[in-house]
Amino acid sequence: MTESTPPPGRQSVRKPAAFRLDDKTVQFEEEPAADPLTAEAAMSDEAGQAIALQRPAPPAGRRVRFGTWIALGFGGLASLAVGLAVDNLIRDLFARTDWLGWTGVALALLAVFGLLGLLIREAVALARLGKIDGLRERLEKAAEDDDAVAARGALGDLIALYKDRPETARNRRILSGHMREVIDGRDLVGLAERDLLAPLDSEARRIVLNSAKRVSLVTAVSPRALVDLLAVLFENVRIIRRLSALYGGRPGMLGFLRLIRHIGTHLALTGGMAAGDSLASQFLGHGLVARLSTRLGEGVVNGLLTARIGIAAIAVCRPAPFVRTRGPTVSEFMSELMKAAETGDTTSGGI
Amino acid sequence: MSTFYSAAEDARLTLANLTDAVTDLAVPTVRLGVTGLARAGKTVFITALVHNLVHGGRLPVFQAASGGRLTSARLQPQPDDAVPRFDYEDHVAALVNDRIWPESTRQVSELRLTIDYESAHFFNRRFGRGRLHLDLIDYPGEWLLDLPLLTKSYAAFSASALKRARAANRSSLSAEFLGLLAETKPDAPESEQDAQRLAAAFKAYLANCRSDAHALSMLPPGRFLMPGDLDGSPALTFSPLEFPVDAAAPRAGTLRAMMERRFEAYKAHVVRPFFRNHFARLDRQIVLVDVQHAINAGPAALSDLEDALGEVLTAFRPGRHSWLSSILTRRIDRILFAATKADHLHRDDHDRLQAILRRLVNRGIDHARFKGAKVEVLAMAAVRATREATLRHGGQELPAILGTPMPDERLNGDRYDGTAEIAMFPGDLPDDPAALFDRPANTATTPAGAAGPGHADPALQFLRFRPPELDRTAEGKTLSLPHIRLDRALEFLIGDRLA
Repeated sequence: MTESTPPPGRQSVRKPAAFRLDDKTVQFEEEPAADPLTAEAAMSDEAGQAIALQRPAPPAGRRVRFGTWIALGFGGLASLAVGLAVDNLIRDLFARTDWLGWTGVALALLAVFGLLGLLIREAVALARLGKIDGLRERLEKAAEDDDAVAARGALGDLIALYKDRPETARNRRILSGHMREVIDGRDLVGLAERDLLAPLDSEARRIVLNSAKRVSLVTAVSPRALVDLLAVLFENVRIIRRLSALYGGRPGMLGFLRLIRHIGTHLALTGGMAAGDSLASQFLGHGLVARLSTRLGEGVVNGLLTARIGIAAIAVCRPAPFVRTRGPTVSEFMSELMKAAETGDTTSGGI
Repeated sequence: MSTFYSAAEDARLTLANLTDAVTDLAVPTVRLGVTGLARAGKTVFITALVHNLVHGGRLPVFQAASGGRLTSARLQPQPDDAVPRFDYEDHVAALVNDRIWPESTRQVSELRLTIDYESAHFFNRRFGRGRLHLDLIDYPGEWLLDLPLLTKSYAAFSASALKRARAANRSSLSAEFLGLLAETKPDAPESEQDAQRLAAAFKAYLANCRSDAHALSMLPPGRFLMPGDLDGSPALTFSPLEFPVDAAAPRAGTLRAMMERRFEAYKAHVVRPFFRNHFARLDRQIVLVDVQHAINAGPAALSDLEDALGEVLTAFRPGRHSWLSSILTRRIDRILFAATKADHLHRDDHDRLQAILRRLVNRGIDHARFKGAKVEVLAMAAVRATREATLRHGGQELPAILGTPMPDERLNGDRYDGTAEIAMFPGDLPDDPAALFDRPANTATTPAGAAGPGHADPALQFLRFRPPELDRTAEGKTLSLPHIRLDRALEFLIGDRLA
């Protein structure tokens, strides 16, 4: 590269340079200190330097959401009404006797603290879910662009996410070892999938399978449709909570609602694709089992639908995209469910 | 005549392949060809590959090894009795104990590695043998430059060789040979002395071209630089002569007739046996290219390397592998182009190195893809001799590498003794590979002999480093050789056969 044609995208031409390590002109340093003199150089080891975090650009600005405004307005009004009522109540209590009034104040404070605590926890949970979503997007992009620097940054955060989970310690260490080597972006994400997430994935599969089995069993033996409905609802809520906890999110109430919304979107988006690959076999299977017993057939179908929700929940809760493997499919659960249905397997699950 | 010859040749190849297919029924074999022009790192690649497989090195991207399915890998006596064995033990000792790079490839050599593995697929696990012979065939890339000669006549060879010798970047190197040639009359009576003098001058010119300062690559015939055991025989004592391409056949007894006869002998006794016995029987191929060496020597060397690689790649017989074709004719169904010595650069520059290599072998990639073979381009280092660090110097952050340069390497007037460790920033590779090829006309045509490497790009300078110092365990066992992307290369080359 000559001086007259500077490379695009770089500010200036950097000349080759070399320094003997036993020279006095090289300072080893942990933290960058003062700038070295012209003839000197400061050196720091590779770790940490290569991880120039490239935060993804924030998503495009949303449109004004009037629904939110309405909710905010009415919510505020309701809070004001509650506040007014409490205020009135405490005034009345003070009017009666002093100690009753103070008790009222103490109770009100307790309630406020509780509310604050709840809010903080919800906010933290939401932030955590948001972090997982962001992580998934970053890893997906890094794998797509084969960008080693971005992948290293995102994987560092992924390891941090599981830091307080001792059962992942060994796998985290393996992955950190890979990250120190020169490996390309897509391969790194694939390695994270195999070495860090694989045990979690198999656990997730087990959770979904057990829930699906329970649903199909309950449907098959329950006397009333209402019982089915409750069982299915309960199991689905349980799947989502357990999967989210497994992959590192700890959803509170709001976070849970948000997860459900994402799962709904995911199901709507992938429904069309899934129809091609598995719906036919699902109903074929249903037809076969239904010949044996209508209730058994319904049980299998309900179980499969639960499995499908579980798969969507895995896709939403997992902090990384499926890069090297394909992720669980409905047909995988199908055979297990059919087996369970035919043998009347009552030992599955843990109800 | 030549059609008949090639038909007979094809029949013979088919027969050989049939025999191979039958033996493959017992234990499947993959013949992996390892080639590259001189000093590209063929020997080091094979040594590192075998060492890592045998000693269970760190190969995270190589699925069979990292998934724990690779039970063992061991060296076995090779099947071809007439081919020298690749001297693995000595090369490992050189690398690990003496910390010098092993001796370069002078001839074809072969090594058989037997891999025991467990297949990931139910069917193969049940019915497969769970064993694979990996035959590594090491041969000098210069010999590949001979393969296109098979289809050339002596007249065509002479014309193209002289045209190259007269090119601007070589004229100073070939002056002596051209001067001798001008005194020679092709139709003079044949004389062994004249032939020897001409051949010696021609060899000297080729050797000059290859020296570090010029690093030219397009230098057929390959045996002139790597004679092997044929040194001094008439088949290697000829040179191109000056005569019109469409000239009539030479009279018997003239110098030209003698040269032509020897050229044909070279084809028959040197090129064709190599093609038949080694080259036509490969399944997979890795082509190692030392890009930095050519960059060091400047754009003329780079475009020469491009020509040479283009020529080499037309010699391959790539193609899709199918059941029938694998029995009748062997085709190379996967080709990996690897830019070696990626450890001489910081990892930030690996993508750019890959882009430069892609540009160098573009023609070959298109050809191979068109024929249905899979092709990949990779920046790798079979043995990683350096570590990485960040230098701050003169207000700039420089991505640097740490290592011990080879004795007598120079940079900025500083000479290294082979023991001092240095931190080095080799310069930034350009984002656009074309910038290295297309230079302003005045720099590209500087007489190459005048200033040594002075005409090379001053913003880029690569040194050679010594092999790394290896950690040893408490029992004195050496740990596996460090590498960059050797596992990815393995995954591409043999990963599917171990699936």
